Amino acid sequence: MRIYERKECIAMLLAGGRGSRLKSLTEQVAKPAVTFGGKYRIIDFPLTNCVHSGIDTVGVMTQYQPLLLHEYIGKGQHWDLDLLHGGVSILPPHSKPGSTAWYSGTANAVYQNQNFIESFAPEFVLVLAADHVYKMDYKAMLDYHKERNADVTIAVIEVPIKDASRFGVLNTAEDDKVVEFEEKPENPKSNLASMGIYIFNWRVLKKYLYEDEKDPNSSNDFGGDVLPAMLRDGLRLFAYRFDGYWKDVGTEESLWQANMDLLDDLHLGFENWHILSKSEGRPPHFVAPTGSIKNTLITEGCEIYGTVENSILSVGVIVEEGAVVKDSVIMENARICKNAVVNYSILDEDTVVPEGAVAGESLADGGKLNVYSRGVVFDKSIEDEGGNTQ
Amino acid sequence: MIGLCLSDPHPDRASDGCPIRTLSAARFAGRYRLVDFMLSNMVNSKINTIGMILNSHYQSLINHIGMGKDWDLARKTGGVTFFPPYLADERKAVNNELDGPLQRVTEFLADRNDEYVLVADSSVVYNMDYRKAFQAHSKTGADVTAIYTKKKITSGERENTVALVISDEDRVTGMELAPPNAESVNVSLGAFIMHKRHFIQLVAGERNCGMLRFSRVLLAEALNRLDVRAFEFKGYSTHICSVETFFQSNLEILDINNRNALFDFEGRQISTSRKDSLPTKYGKDANIQNSLVADGCQINGTVINSTIFRNVKIEAGAVIKDCVLQDDTVVEKNASLECIITDNSVVVSENRSMKGYSTYPVYIERGRVI
Repeated sequence: MRIYERKECIAMLLAGGRGSRLKSLTEQVAKPAVTFGGKYRIIDFPLTNCVHSGIDTVGVMTQYQPLLLHEYIGKGQHWDLDLLHGGVSILPPHSKPGSTAWYSGTANAVYQNQNFIESFAPEFVLVLAADHVYKMDYKAMLDYHKERNADVTIAVIEVPIKDASRFGVLNTAEDDKVVEFEEKPENPKSNLASMGIYIFNWRVLKKYLYEDEKDPNSSNDFGGDVLPAMLRDGLRLFAYRFDGYWKDVGTEESLWQANMDLLDDLHLGFENWHILSKSEGRPPHFVAPTGSIKNTLITEGCEIYGTVENSILSVGVIVEEGAVVKDSVIMENARICKNAVVNYSILDEDTVVPEGAVAGESLADGGKLNVYSRGVVFDKSIEDEGGNTQ
Repeated sequence: MIGLCLSDPHPDRASDGCPIRTLSAARFAGRYRLVDFMLSNMVNSKINTIGMILNSHYQSLINHIGMGKDWDLARKTGGVTFFPPYLADERKAVNNELDGPLQRVTEFLADRNDEYVLVADSSVVYNMDYRKAFQAHSKTGADVTAIYTKKKITSGERENTVALVISDEDRVTGMELAPPNAESVNVSLGAFIMHKRHFIQLVAGERNCGMLRFSRVLLAEALNRLDVRAFEFKGYSTHICSVETFFQSNLEILDINNRNALFDFEGRQISTSRKDSLPTKYGKDANIQNSLVADGCQINGTVINSTIFRNVKIEAGAVIKDCVLQDDTVVEKNASLECIITDNSVVVSENRSMKGYSTYPVYIERGRVI
C-alpha cells in the first residue's frame, strides 16, 4: 500500500443511511444531504467540525440515493478539503475480486474501506455519523483519547432519562470508563447517550472488524456488535462528555425543532467555528412593499411579497402577495402562490403551494406537523371539489 | 477570444470620502462587485482567458477575484492574469515611478494563439453574451466592433459617458464625451472587439491607460484609419462612475425588471465570490419594505427602499430609508438614516440621525463611527 502522507487521525463519515424516519424528505436524497437552517445541508456540520479540528482527511461512505450528496461534496472545495494529499474522498460500495457487496452495516462500511484508511497509515480513526447538528472540537476529544490511553473513546451527551431509550446508552464507572453499552434499552440505567462519534485506535479496530466479518450472526454494526465485543474483551473504552448544542435531526419533528432553535440562538456563526457550506451564489433576497417578515431566517435568492413569521426560508423561496407562512421550514426553491397559507409544516425542495391553497394545521391551535414532499401541495377542499389547482 | 479588462480610477468627489478602491471593485446589489458582471459575461461567452489591467488601489480587486475559482477561472489553460504596474528600473524607485503594465499585456497577447480580444470596462453593469457581437464582428469584417446601448442618461452619468456617433451601416464616425442630454443616446458600454494586432497598435507607446483614455482618445483618434462598427446591446445596463450613479444603480436594482435583466437574463447567471454568510435573521420588531438584503444581516428595525449588503446589523427602532448600507454596517437603536451610503464597517450610534438627498446622497467612509 502506497502511503502518500501519514496522517495521525483521519475521519470516516457514515453517510450511506436513508434516515427512514424522515420519510418523504429522504425519498430522493440521503439524510446527510437534507437541507438545514436555510443554506446548509446536514453533512456541513461533521465536515466543518473536521476542518476546524485539524482533521484534513475525510472518507465519506455513501450508498443510499447518493447523487445529490456526491454533487454537493464535489472535490471538498467548499470546506477547504480539496487537498493534494487527503481532503475529501467519496467512498461508495464497490466490487473487488471475489466480492460484490453493499455496505451491510456501519462497521462493514469501514471494513470495506480499509485500503483507503491504510493509505494514510493513521494511528487513530474517527468514525462519525452524518445526521446531527452540532459544533464540536474533535481535536479535544482526540487529546482526551490519548490522555486516557484508550482503545476507543465514545462521545456522549447527557439527555433526559425519559429520552435515553432512543439512544445507545453508556453506563460508566467514576472515571468515565465504559462498563456497559446498551443499544436503545427499554429501561436505561444512565442518561449518557452515545452521539455516534467514536475514536478508535486503528490497529485495534482493524482486528475487530476482521473478527466481526467472520461472525455470521453479526449485523456488522458499531453500536450493536463491535463495541459490545470490545467491552467483552476488556478493552479500554471511555466516554467523552460533550455539553454543547447537539441535536439529532433524524425525525421530522426533531428536524423542524432544530431549525426553529436557530430563531432563538443563531448558533451557526461563531467567529472561529463558521459553518462552511456550498453557497449557491444567488442574488440577495428581496422584500416587496407588500412583504412582512417577523422572527424569521431568510436566505439569498428569496422573493417575499407576502407575510412570513417564525419560519426558516431556504435559498430561492418565493412567497407571493397575500400568502402567509407561519411556523414552517421551507426548503429550496419552493413557491407559495398568491393568498396561499402554510402553517406548521416542512415543505421540501421545489414544492409549489398553489394559489389560495392551505397547507398544514395551525400550531397555535394544537395542530400537528405536516411534511410536504416535492411537488404540488393540494388543498384538500380544492381537491374535493376537483377545482383548479394550477 | 481573450478578455482584457480596463478600468478607470475611482470617480470625483474624493473629498466626500469616495470609495478608496478601483471602481471595478465597487460594490453593487447587496453582494456583488462591479467586476463580477464583466467576468461572468466573459465566462458565459466562453472567454476563459482574461487579463486584468490594474492601475491603482487594486488590492481589494485582487482579494475579491483571487484565483478566479468562483467564476470557474482557476484553470490550467487560461484563467485570470493580473497586470499590475511594476518597477521596471530600480533607479526610478527613488521617484516612486512605476511602469504601466501595457507592455506586458502586449507580450501576453502575442504569446497566445487566440487572435481576437475583447477589451471591456468593468465598471459597466449588464448581462450579455458577447458571442453575438463577435458574430457581427466577423460578418461585417470590421476592424473594431464597439458595443453600445441606446438609453436616456441622467445628469450624474453624463460627465463620464462616451457616446458613439453612428452613421450608415453602423459605422462609428465619432465619439463624444459628456453628450448633451437626450432621450436616446448611443452610450458606449466600453466593450470593443478587435484583432489583437489592432489593440497592440492602438496602445503602442502607452504605459498605462484606463477605458476613458482608450476609447475617447486612442480609439477616437484612429477612427479615420480603422473601420469601427457599432453593435447594439438591447438590455438593461448601468454605468457606475460617481457617487450619484453608485447610489442610483444600487436602488434601481429594487425594480424586479432590472434584477431579472441582470441576474437571470436568457438564463445567464452572474457569479461572485462566496462567503458562506449565515442566513439573514429578522427579529420580532422588523419592518421591511421594498428592499434587497444580502445574507448575514440581523434586522430588527425599519428598512424601506434600501439595498443592504452582507452582515449589516439594524437594531430595534432604527429607521433606514433610501439607503445603501455596505458590509458590516451597524445602525444602533433609534438611529435614522435617509439617502445615506455607508462604506464597510460604519457604525451609526444610538439616536443619531443623518439625511442626504436623492440627487446628493451622503457618503460615510469606511470604519467611521457616527
